[in-house]
Parts: sequence; structure tokens; C-alpha cells
Amino acid sequence: MTIVSLINIKEGQAAVIKSIAGGWMATKRLADLGLTPGTKIKVLRIAPVLGPIEIEVRGSKLVLGRGLAAKVLVTTK
Amino acid sequence: MPKKLNIVLAGQANVGKSVIFNHLTGLHQHIGNWPGKTVEKAEGTLHYKGYTIDVLDLPGIYSLATYSIEELVSREYIATKEPDFVVNVVDATNLERNLLFTLQLLELERPTVLALNMVDLLEAKGIKINIKELQKILGIPIVPVVAIKRKGLTKVLNQGIKLVKSGKHARPLKYGKEVEERIKKTVKLLKSIKLHYPKRWLAMKLLEKDQEIRKLVKGACPKILKKLRVFCRELEKIHGHDSSIVIAHERCHLVSQIIEKVQIIKMPSKKKALERFDNLTTHRIWGYPTMIVILASMFLAIFKFGNWLSGYFGLISEVFQNWYAAFVGTSFVAGLCWSGIEGALALIEIALPYILPFYLLLFFLEDLGYLARVAFLLDSLMHKLGVHGKASIPLMLGFGCNVPACLSCRIMETQRERFLTGFLTTLVPCSAVTVVIMGLVGKFMGIGWALGLYIFIFLVIFGLGKLASRILPGEPTELIMEMPDLRRPNFKTILIQTWIRVKDFLYIAAPLVIVSGIIIEGVHLAGGLEGVAWVLSPITVKWLGLPAITGILLIFGILRKELILVMLATLLGTANFAQVLTPAQMITLAVVAMFYIPCVATIAALAREFGWKKALGITIFEILFAIGIGGVVFRLVSVFI
Repeated sequence: MTIVSLINIKEGQAAVIKSIAGGWMATKRLADLGLTPGTKIKVLRIAPVLGPIEIEVRGSKLVLGRGLAAKVLVTTK
Repeated sequence: MPKKLNIVLAGQANVGKSVIFNHLTGLHQHIGNWPGKTVEKAEGTLHYKGYTIDVLDLPGIYSLATYSIEELVSREYIATKEPDFVVNVVDATNLERNLLFTLQLLELERPTVLALNMVDLLEAKGIKINIKELQKILGIPIVPVVAIKRKGLTKVLNQGIKLVKSGKHARPLKYGKEVEERIKKTVKLLKSIKLHYPKRWLAMKLLEKDQEIRKLVKGACPKILKKLRVFCRELEKIHGHDSSIVIAHERCHLVSQIIEKVQIIKMPSKKKALERFDNLTTHRIWGYPTMIVILASMFLAIFKFGNWLSGYFGLISEVFQNWYAAFVGTSFVAGLCWSGIEGALALIEIALPYILPFYLLLFFLEDLGYLARVAFLLDSLMHKLGVHGKASIPLMLGFGCNVPACLSCRIMETQRERFLTGFLTTLVPCSAVTVVIMGLVGKFMGIGWALGLYIFIFLVIFGLGKLASRILPGEPTELIMEMPDLRRPNFKTILIQTWIRVKDFLYIAAPLVIVSGIIIEGVHLAGGLEGVAWVLSPITVKWLGLPAITGILLIFGILRKELILVMLATLLGTANFAQVLTPAQMITLAVVAMFYIPCVATIAALAREFGWKKALGITIFEILFAIGIGGVVFRLVSVFI
């Protein structure tokens, strides 16, 4: 089981959040949106040219900018 | 004696809060600002069962932390203003994430009713919610609601009034043992402190390392923070994360436990037409042409409609002016009065044919859920300007009119992003600038040159955006946005939203446009404009290579940029500009007109959003920039043509 950044996950693939490699603000913000370690997510769409990433988390859809998504570390099964 | 109640609507973005607000208050609403903040405050009144109920629509937020001004304002209001009851609007189809917010709301311990909205969509999505069980767990009344069909709204009010009568407040839910222990201990520490928040909530915020609350407590009793550090460390040891995350994590955990008990999801069977359209709108290749077609046809429709309607308005105001001249006369005072009236008429002439349809279509796209897709597609492009995807919406608005564009910069999260986006929107060519470019360069030099000018504008916006984001202090924020499902738009919401914005535009623009119109007309009638043109001639004639009368045009253009063209025809006595201006002069004049100043209405909007200092700063910068670049363009173009 390797830990990779969320931006390395392909469209349609599922993953589990391991940790957030960001500052207090980013970590807290993501946690408020339900993105905490242990949360299952699925990558729905990736916008082209280094665009944002749309994920499904806790039954809803969320768009994260590429820079922020890079800070989300996940594992795939 | 009518009884007064004071209630608030709270919830995340896109849950139908504003629809409920509009249904409850109708047009009896007032959209203003929170004192000293650029956060919109929507208030309204309704009469129900002998009660006069003041409704406050809090901004849509995802948490009660201090990430954005909206969150700070909301939690301060609920905790310190003690509304009689809180209506927590929840999107039933997004229950899990919405409950994360509900749990935080319960912690503020006000009487709370949960309005479970969009229950009509549950079946199609294969979701089943056990409302009775959820009600038992949360300990607050839950009312199923279909806001767009007005279903369930009176029940929400009835339940709220019942809560007020019984005096029953919401109770926070219990977290895991380790966390609860630390909360209890912290509450004990806080015993002697008098702050206008529930003790348990304060304790949790302290453990979450909330900066604002730490400051408050530090002011009241600095010793507490020291003891608190011990608890935070204990939590961090047990859970292996920072204590701020521990609480959020607990909350997520609790919510997923609740969800397991109350919600069953069976996959929906068939893909619907809307879903297929959704896949097209965000497709990595086809999404872009789709966007261009949608936006281009929207702009085209508005310009066609606007030109058609403003033609009639032009005729009407001409008739009106003739009457005025016949009955009131053409004396100095009468002339001044007329310029005031003309200013007001002109505003209506812009508002009705251009701004109104623009907003109608834009809010249609917004309500449909399409604008979020535009933000998704354009995020990486917007990052090149130093802002994120959501800025594409104000910038798009700018093509219609810079005033609403400035006001809509509020959708950006931080002050830095708002200002940067606001600055960039003032550079976007609005419909009046388009009139100048098309009527001058497009008509007499060909459409290719006009398009070239547009490309030039976009390059300038890119350059200045990059530069400004370097200069402005602070870090750029990343895009975080909910992707709403596409849904059938609600026309009443669209109409009310449009009406409020148009009214806003008239209120903000009218005073400055009318007053400055009268002043300029006064100088004009007194014969002072030739003097102004003479004073400006070192710039206009020597540096920009334009005829001296352009000084007068640029003064009038401050009011409304299309006046540059109107006055040019009047002063030169011909509408065939090719006879009086060389091609290089036309291009230079168009370039200067594009950038040289935000019009007075936009300056007023900037001042309202960012204060006079910044508004004047932008204005002065753009004047200098336009003069500088205008001269360079004149010299370059003169070489080639």
C-alpha cells in the first residue's frame, strides 16, 4: 500500500485519505468539508491543463484546486 | 399587540436557502452589508399568525470556523444576537456533508428547526431517509420541505414558534470519550469567564485552536490558555493528529455513524438527460466548445435584444427632450436640469435593455448549476491571473456592466482575492466599451482590427493580473467549491435575484452619474470645456496624437463610455469618423477609451466594496496606464499603417 498524492489518482478510481500535507488553514478547511484521514473518496473528473479535481466524498461532489489536491495524501487498495 | 420574532436561516451553499428566504419574505426584503464588512446581509419581514417575523438569511457557509468573513459573521450573529430560533436548511440529497454543519449549529444551543429541503428529489436518486430516527438523534424538529414548490414552509414556522413557546434549545451531540473528557475539563476552566457564547462551544473552539476565540479568552483570562495546552497535547497523543483536526475528525465520525442509521442509498437505475448534459458540460475536450457556444449565444442574444430595445428608448428620450426644450426652455438652468434628467434616463436605457436581460440569463445559468462548471473548466486559466476559477463569474459579468461585476466579487473568499478580481473586472470591456470599439474601429477599419483590440485587452488583463497578484501581499487561495447537480431552475428566484441586482445598480450608479453629469454640463454650458481640452492638449495632442477635442470626449466618457462616440459625432458634426480621424487615431482613441478610467458608476461600486482609497487608487492607476499605453500604441500603429 503506497501513499500518493490525490493528483496521481485516475478518473473513476477510489482512494482513502491518509493525511493532509498542508498548513493549519488548509487542513482545517478540508476537515470542515469532511475530508479527514480515513475518509473514502472517489475521483470523478479531472479538468485538463492542470485544472481542478472533482471528487465524491460523503455522498456529495466537491471541486478542489490542483494545488490543494496535491496536499491530500491518499492510498488506493 | 403583534408579537415580534427574530429568526435566521443558516445552511451550506446551494441548499435552497435563498429560495426559502424569497418565499417567506417576498419583495419585503432589504439587501445590505454587514456593518464594516463586505458581506451581504439579506433581511426581510413576514407576518404570520399574529407574529411579525424578521428573517435574516445568513450567507451559505460550510462551517462555523473562521476561514472566511462569512463564517465569522454568521456564528457571531447566532451566538450573540440570540435569534428566537434558527432554521437550518439542509439539502436532503447531500445529507452527510450538510449534517457536518448541523452538528456545529447545535453546539451554539439556540432553538433550532431543521428544514430538510429537496425531499422530492430523494426518490429519483434512490435515497431513503428515516426522518423519525434522525429527529430522535439530533433532538430537534425536522420538517420535510420542497422549497421551490413552497411545500412545508408554514410547518417550519409552526415548529419554530412551538420551540419559542416551550423555550426548548438545541443540545449538542456527544463525541468520543477522550474528547468529551477534555471538553468537560475545559468547560470547568471557563466557569468564571463571562463571554456571550455557550461554554461548551467555547471549550470546543479552544481545543480546535480557533484564533478568534483564543484571543477573546486570552483577554478575559490568560491563564486558561496555558492549562489548555495540556489538554490539546493529550488529545494529540491519543489520536496522532493535531487537536484542531481531532474535533473535526470526531464530528465526521459521528456524522457517518448517524448516516449509517438513518440513510439507505440504492443506485438509481437510468441515466437522465440532465446527467448526460452534465457529462458534456465538464468534458475535458467538449466542455470548452459547449461553454463557448452557451456564453457566446448568451452575449449575442443580449446585444441583439439590447440594441433593438435601446433604439426605441433613444427615440422616446429624443421626443422627451424636444418637449422639454419647448415647455421649459433652453436657458442655463434649464439646461443643467435637463442634463440631470438625461443622466437618469440614460441609466434606465442601460439598465433595461442590457443589464436586466444579462442578469436574467446569468441567474438562469447559476440556478441551473452551470456557472460552477464554468469555474471548474476555467480554474487553471484563472490561476494564470492570480485568482481561482470562481473569479470567472465576476469577469464574465464585466462584459455586461462593470458595476454588477464589482459587486459580485464577494463570491471570492478572501479580501485579497476580492480586490484582485474587482480590479480585473474594471478592465473587462463592458457593453459601452464594445459600442465604442465596434462603432469606431469595427465600422471604419474592419472587424479584424476590432477583434485584434479584444485580444489586446485580454493580454493586458493577463499581464496586469499577473503583476497585481505578485505585488499584493498574501497567498493566492485554492479553489474549493461544491459541484451542485444540474437542476431545473426556479423562475421566481431568478426574477427576484435579477430585480435586486438591477435595483442595486440604479441606487449605486444614479447619484454619481447624475451629479457629475450636471457638473460637466455646467462647465460645458459655461464654455469651459474648450479650456479643459486646451489644458489636456499636451497629453491628447502631443503624446497621444489625437485631435484636441478628444479631451472633451474623455471628460464625458467618465460618465458613460459610449458618450465618447456620441460626443465625437456631435462635436465634429459628422458620423463618418473616417473623414476626421486617421486609422491610427481611431485605434489609439479606442485603446484609451477601454482603459482610461472605470466609469463613475463603477468607481462608486468599487468604493462600496473596497473603500474610497482603493477605488481612487485603481482609478488613478488606470488613467496613467491608459495614457502611457495609448501613446505607445499610437506610435507603433503609425509605423505600420
